[in-house]
Amino acid sequence: MATPSFSAFKYSDSITIAGISFFTAIVCEAISWLLIYRRTSYKSLKSAIDKASKKLETMKTDSTALRKSKTKKIDRVETSLKESSRDLSLFKFKSGAVVALILFAVFGFLNSLYEGKAVAKLPFVPLRIVQKMSHRGLQGEDPTDCSMAFLYFLCSISIRTNLQKFLGFSPPRGAAGAGLFPVPDASKTN
Amino acid sequence: MKEKKSVKPSLKHQSGHVSSFKFAKLFDPEAFWDKDQLGDVLHWIRQIVALVCGLLWGSIPLVGGIWLVLFLLISSGIIYGYYAIILKVDEEEFGGHGSLLQEGLFASITLFLLAWTLVYSLAHF
Repeated sequence: MATPSFSAFKYSDSITIAGISFFTAIVCEAISWLLIYRRTSYKSLKSAIDKASKKLETMKTDSTALRKSKTKKIDRVETSLKESSRDLSLFKFKSGAVVALILFAVFGFLNSLYEGKAVAKLPFVPLRIVQKMSHRGLQGEDPTDCSMAFLYFLCSISIRTNLQKFLGFSPPRGAAGAGLFPVPDASKTN
Repeated sequence: MKEKKSVKPSLKHQSGHVSSFKFAKLFDPEAFWDKDQLGDVLHWIRQIVALVCGLLWGSIPLVGGIWLVLFLLISSGIIYGYYAIILKVDEEEFGGHGSLLQEGLFASITLFLLAWTLVYSLAHF
């Protein structure tokens, strides 16, 4: 399946997989932009989270003596931050489903092309647990043979994360860890 | 305990991104860093180190898991040296050493493995 210019290499398929993965990442980000990032409601939610997390940070670092009123204020900001983060996750859920669908479709397509074929050679022997993925569906005992699944995993994580960061589409740091299902804070329930 | 730096921004910060970014600031220990800016800089340093090491390891070629460990040590050493020695930031203001050293770690490991594997497979087989 390799393009003629790369066919001289034994593992030219790895370039094809990386290229397809890069293209898929761009398509996924374009879809996410269409569905969420360009909307004003998303932008306002993101800036609200940024503001709230910064406010919380300065409140926590500035306070030398924590008075009761201050603690209450911090609690209030924290609650609003959690709510906004939850809204943001809900917002992202829709495009997340579409993106997941595309990634699955591309994975299925690549799987049909390269099933049972070593697409690259690993320069190290992976741990046994990693070998389940890196040697998935391959014949032979050589643990350094790399399956399409592992290469696709490496490509999609590294390319997508960096592309999101480059385009400024990464989730705000303040929202990290706040998912759809908030974990109750034990210190506040007591 | 290290002397804490002023939390008040000296530059007007623009929504967590590097629009007002100056190259000289990267090596200025007096500059004000906000969490987002420092996080972004550390993330990109890690990715550059990962890419350079991956290409280098693959083209030599270096073979064996020990080189992955060496990459992690070099990458974390550079990050630590950068924020603790060059910028001299107080890590407590940014969530501690763990939070700063984690910045872009997973993405850099996958990028390193990808570059290493691709160059090794293409150049030596």
